[in-house]
Amino acid sequence: MAKIIVVTSGKGGVGKTTSAAAIATGLALRGNKTVVIDFDVGLRNLDLIMGCERRVVYDLVNVIQGEAGLNQALIRDKRTENLHILPASQTRDKDALTMEGVERVLDSLSEEYDYIVCDSPAGIERGAQLAMYYADEAIVVTNPEVSSVRDSDRILGLLASKTRRAEQNMDPVRERLLITRYDPNRVDTGDMLNLEDIQEILAIKLVGLIPESEAVLRASNQGVPVTHDQQSDAGQAYADTVSRLMGEEIPLRFHQAQKRGFLSRVFGGGRR
Amino acid sequence: MSLKVDRAEVAFTFKGGMLPMTVMELATADPERVATQLAGKLNQSPAFFQHTPVVLSVEKLDAPHLALERLCAVCREHKLLPVAVRGGGDGIKQSAWALGLGWFPPQEIRAAAPASGEAHDTGAEAAAEARENSEAPALEGGRIFRGTVRSGQQLSAPHGDLVIVGAVNAGAEILAAGSVHVYGPLRGRALAGIHGSREVGIFCQELHAELLSIAGNYKRLEDIDVELLGANVEVRLSEDQLNIRTLV
Repeated sequence: MAKIIVVTSGKGGVGKTTSAAAIATGLALRGNKTVVIDFDVGLRNLDLIMGCERRVVYDLVNVIQGEAGLNQALIRDKRTENLHILPASQTRDKDALTMEGVERVLDSLSEEYDYIVCDSPAGIERGAQLAMYYADEAIVVTNPEVSSVRDSDRILGLLASKTRRAEQNMDPVRERLLITRYDPNRVDTGDMLNLEDIQEILAIKLVGLIPESEAVLRASNQGVPVTHDQQSDAGQAYADTVSRLMGEEIPLRFHQAQKRGFLSRVFGGGRR
Repeated sequence: MSLKVDRAEVAFTFKGGMLPMTVMELATADPERVATQLAGKLNQSPAFFQHTPVVLSVEKLDAPHLALERLCAVCREHKLLPVAVRGGGDGIKQSAWALGLGWFPPQEIRAAAPASGEAHDTGAEAAAEARENSEAPALEGGRIFRGTVRSGQQLSAPHGDLVIVGAVNAGAEILAAGSVHVYGPLRGRALAGIHGSREVGIFCQELHAELLSIAGNYKRLEDIDVELLGANVEVRLSEDQLNIRTLV
């Protein structure tokens, strides 16, 4: 039985798709059979981030509507063994997804994979609710700003009530906080909310903290999940996140401002 | 600050109120027996029968049909003014409405409602949302909730006090007919005395509330003295003003 993880946030643009791609890649690199599904029907992005946009033939909607088999739609990742991508449709909208269809797809994937990562669309409407409905675990992606924190709070309310686990009185969805775009220097100057404040408001366990990093934008545009860039801070932070997801205890990194050395100050060395 | 926006502009304001009301508990559906007993009472205490408003309670009767019109006429003859009917089935409800009377559901049902734990004046979604991490043992119409009340959730105790053991986040709303107690930070909206009770309060360990309201008199976050933000406080109503004072 696969573990179903939804990557969600409420707010758009906080890094759901980047995180879903990076985490799925990290899980696969650690030897887990992993599939990552794009639930953002109509605004397909995951294929770009994963660098497989030229190989999309069939998509999630085709599978749900019986126009294609699951194996026809699954795209094997070129860089990582054990990793498959199920893209969303760009020409349809979220009404094309049905609860039963999603359940059928997840059930058959469950038999073959260890992890199913669902990349949720933004918002709290039908698309987002379908992406979270069958989840066992949720990764709530939050930026260190008040609007993102409030939207994450709202999503946590939905996770506690609008999921299969809630409706059938099973153990609740395990909720984990992933803070992205964290800049310790701007936290110190008071421009950004700090880690403790975010955790105090949302009151869930932290699974990872990804620093604001140039590596993320570069990775997105190149279509290579940032987990592959193990020289970068963000790549390492996602690798840590994956370790924690797999149950390891890893100390937090990248949450404190780096003291810049003399040479770095003179020559203005930037972050990697 | 109160809801009196501008006296000249506003034709009326709605206020929740708890008025003393005489309930006439009928033990029979026979208007003639009622008339006989009323005549006796009228002789004993004529002062009581001054067009006194009464609610006719038919809960103790199991008659599906009732000569409601005749009963009302009997009451009026004895200077009682029937204003509403309580209990009975759909037929009685319809005839009450047809006579221009109000109708209240039977008392058992209303008393049972808070025990089910859910707010009926909230949307079904909000009510369901708050369900999961609550333990909600009912306490004489009051309610205890453990956990975080999150943005978009609404939690209410329509018949008593509401106690939250945890945080109330921004964008959440908690309402109670009685007092509101928050053992944690209060960042959302808190409304006490929603049916008009003025002798109630809002208590919290860390005040950051978006809105505080007692019996319709409210203060917004902007109106709260910054010195009080983050403090452990008690909020009470006196002369249509919310007073906030710190608790030690």
